[in-house]
Amino acid sequence: MKKTMLTTILAASALVFAGCNSEESANESTGESGAFEPSKNIEMVAPAGAGGGWDTTAREVARVFGETGIIEKNMTVINKEGGGGAIAWAYIHGQDDSPYNLFVSSPPLMFVPLNGQSEYGHEDFTPLANMIADYGAFAVSADSEWEDLNDLFDQMKEDPESVTVVGTSSPGSMDHMQFVRIAKAAGVDPKKIKYVSDQDGGALTSVLNGSVDVFSTGVGEVVEQVRAGNIKVLGVTAEERMEGEILSDFPTAIEQGIDESFINWRGFFGPPNMDQAAVDYYEEKFKELSESEEFAEVRKKYGWNEMYLSSEEYEEFLNNEYKEIEVLLEEIGLGN
Amino acid sequence: MPLTINRRIALILFVIAAIYLFLSFQLPNYPYAPVDADVIPKGLGILMIILSIALFFSKAIETEAEKEKRNIPKKELLVLLAVFAMIFLYILLFEIIGFVIMTAIFIFFCSWFLGYTKWKSNIIVSILFPLGMYVIFVFALGISLPKGILPI
Amino acid sequence: MNAFDGMITGFQVALSWEGILFVLIGVIVGTLIGMMPGLGPISAIAIMIPITYGMDPAPALVMMAGVYYGAVFGGSTSSILLNAPGISGTVATAFDGYPMAQQGKAGKALAIAAIASFFGGTVSVIMLMLLAPALSSVAISFGPPAYFALMLMGLTAISSLSEGSTIKAMIAAVAGVMVVTIGIDPQTGTQRFTFGNVNLFDGFDFLIIALGLFAIAEVCMLVLNRKNRSLSDDQKLGSLKVTRADLKEMSGPMTRQSFVGFILGVLPGAGATIASFISYIFEKRISKNPEEFGKGSIKGLAAPESSNNAATSGAFVPLLSLGIPGSGTTAVMLGAFLVLGVQPGPLLMTDRPEIFWGIIASMYLGNIFLLILNLPLIPYLAKILSIPRPLLISLVIMFSLIGVYSISFNVFDLYMLLVFGALGFAMRVFSFPAPPFILAFILGGMMEQAFRQSMTISNGNLAIFVNSPLPLSLILIALLSLVIPGLLKWRSRRKLANM
Repeated sequence: MKKTMLTTILAASALVFAGCNSEESANESTGESGAFEPSKNIEMVAPAGAGGGWDTTAREVARVFGETGIIEKNMTVINKEGGGGAIAWAYIHGQDDSPYNLFVSSPPLMFVPLNGQSEYGHEDFTPLANMIADYGAFAVSADSEWEDLNDLFDQMKEDPESVTVVGTSSPGSMDHMQFVRIAKAAGVDPKKIKYVSDQDGGALTSVLNGSVDVFSTGVGEVVEQVRAGNIKVLGVTAEERMEGEILSDFPTAIEQGIDESFINWRGFFGPPNMDQAAVDYYEEKFKELSESEEFAEVRKKYGWNEMYLSSEEYEEFLNNEYKEIEVLLEEIGLGN
Repeated sequence: MPLTINRRIALILFVIAAIYLFLSFQLPNYPYAPVDADVIPKGLGILMIILSIALFFSKAIETEAEKEKRNIPKKELLVLLAVFAMIFLYILLFEIIGFVIMTAIFIFFCSWFLGYTKWKSNIIVSILFPLGMYVIFVFALGISLPKGILPI
Repeated sequence: MNAFDGMITGFQVALSWEGILFVLIGVIVGTLIGMMPGLGPISAIAIMIPITYGMDPAPALVMMAGVYYGAVFGGSTSSILLNAPGISGTVATAFDGYPMAQQGKAGKALAIAAIASFFGGTVSVIMLMLLAPALSSVAISFGPPAYFALMLMGLTAISSLSEGSTIKAMIAAVAGVMVVTIGIDPQTGTQRFTFGNVNLFDGFDFLIIALGLFAIAEVCMLVLNRKNRSLSDDQKLGSLKVTRADLKEMSGPMTRQSFVGFILGVLPGAGATIASFISYIFEKRISKNPEEFGKGSIKGLAAPESSNNAATSGAFVPLLSLGIPGSGTTAVMLGAFLVLGVQPGPLLMTDRPEIFWGIIASMYLGNIFLLILNLPLIPYLAKILSIPRPLLISLVIMFSLIGVYSISFNVFDLYMLLVFGALGFAMRVFSFPAPPFILAFILGGMMEQAFRQSMTISNGNLAIFVNSPLPLSLILIALLSLVIPGLLKWRSRRKLANM
């Protein structure tokens, strides 16, 4: 039920932790000395409704910033839902050089514009810092005959029509492309991969009842089902084994001889023309946050992996990722 | 064959359906789905065309009750139009001027325009309602509403 | 641990002073937020999440559950009084609730809604308690073909949702599905009818359509009739006394639709909104006097109200026993669990029985609280209708505008509300029924997606819909429900002719 689900999710985009206001991004410039210090509340946009990954990251980061006093000014989270992030991105883009408007993002910041659904992509914003990494997982029903990725991919090479992959997002976006990326590296013809999208919360169900064969999703979504013995994970997109109970049992694609990985990075950006002094300021603060014990707790709670990248490293990383995805989309004929 | 009201509606629907159908044929092709994004819209467009033709030739005559429903005096229609115009102005301005002020103005003038003469209670409601809503949303629930020019 | 031992553990949690206190807080906050324009269970839960930081998980989750079903409970108030549904689960409540209030029976309508909600909530908690583990297999039995068949079953009822011209009802329904095709198509990522406008990429929110077609269109009618005096002048608001005859009349629909609602709530993706519509149609179809529906029928009010509350508890089945959130609301609920360090899933019942059973036990309590708290409020709520017409009109307009704005904070959606309001008014003036439009909008979109998912899975082979028993039987029911009424009519006509 797409509409009801959206309805409910949209309804929650109402959320802001403290009364804050979006119109309040005056163009105060940095101090005369050149160093930047915020003189008013900072607005953090989660380009989605409440409850999702972006929202949770933004809220946890804002909370820990406040509780540890790393940033003294209030950081308020606002939700701007719509167009898979495009509405929020257009909004931030309009903030031009404001040092008080940040937003959280992840690979959809590339997938959505590459699919022609947003005017703005990562190159239109100022990367501040990456904070965490997450990975994709490919899960099948527990009674499936496939034991590892190679079993699955062998079958797909032999009879591509017999295997259906399900994900939450539409084709050309993350759940689809992380699978295509690994499968292609294993020698599967990426044009013959059957993918269906289920945005109403039925993806896992469809795998459990055998309607579809493979669930392409994030590792966080599958841990509990694996613990309960309902599904098994054939492979994850991490470069090396993850740490943690259950997580450490998941074999990577690389150790199964498929030389490819995919990182679901999550980090923070500012408006396009953010002043260098402000960039330096935030970069420093995010670094401090990433190294703090309190944020380590948060990472543990949600099973996130630490992946701090400074503004410069981040930009380079993003540009490389972008190129790879672009080529892949081009190849399966979804490029724009 | 007289052009009854249903026939006129049927003609409008036919045009809308035709435009919709035309746009459905413009939808880009996606290589990997056996049933592509354009199939259902095309079906709907054709169905709507059939239905509009059926409505055009339908023999059903308007009942008295139905006739009564669309018997609206011109003047009343203008009143309705004015209310819509007020809502439009509200939407246009409330993010700029702010929720509390615009809502107060809207409630006062809209009620007054529609014939509410007790201006004292009108003023009280138009001030208390937006203030109450604002306090509940912003301070109790933490959901931001545009504050506009007010320094709250 | 069997259900009985479990419930003992559960009641120990729910009946502790902490348990009682937090259930109470939960349901009060939930009801109040549910009554606010545009804010439904999902915002209610999300608003409460930060408050639970650092709390003991059992009372915290008992409170969150209370917030959830409390919001569904409270959502019916504005549907009944103003024809302006505050949440999507109570759109169907307005079909008969609002006419009833207009007939001077607002108090009674609110009381019936409260009783039906209580009944639906309680029956489904009993089912949740007894069947949660067993039902988890039902929750996952529906694949895309079965969903397609289920939606088809719902859509066959379009004709029964309207009086007068069947052609006009069909036109309204087709238009409803046309509107739902606007936006990015999930199966292909293709933009359909968006004209490149980013505001249209996600399609229209259900509440925009519902508030436009019902609340704003009603406002237009009120404007035209504003010179008629307000209800209070010539009619009493009516006592909220529900007579024994009323109770008898609503007992059938309440019982049936509590089951229907619960089962639909269990299915991921269906949820309270679809449940309330299907229950409404269900009762209308089997009713001996379907012509009363839509004109203030007690059955037509009790059915969706018991169903949407039952669906709310039903949604806890996949959440608690499988860790699968079947809707946006339960997805946020899952987030609330995680924040408190509790992972819902197949192991919850054995690992944390006090939480699993505590939540279930607290729902009994919560439903009783809701009934006790809400009944005395009814006379005050019903007074809203004695507000003079011109002022009431302005306030309903504001209610709808705030409602839509707090969904997306997007001014574009407000303009769309105005457009759908104008459409709704035109539909009324020219006698096109709105319920088929709404129903087609809500079922049509999901039906299309399920159909195309099925076709991708089967490589384009239609046999997928008849190859397995579940979709096949649902499709057969859908066909029979189309054919049988016609046959009956034909037979009775022949009888008449032979006489």
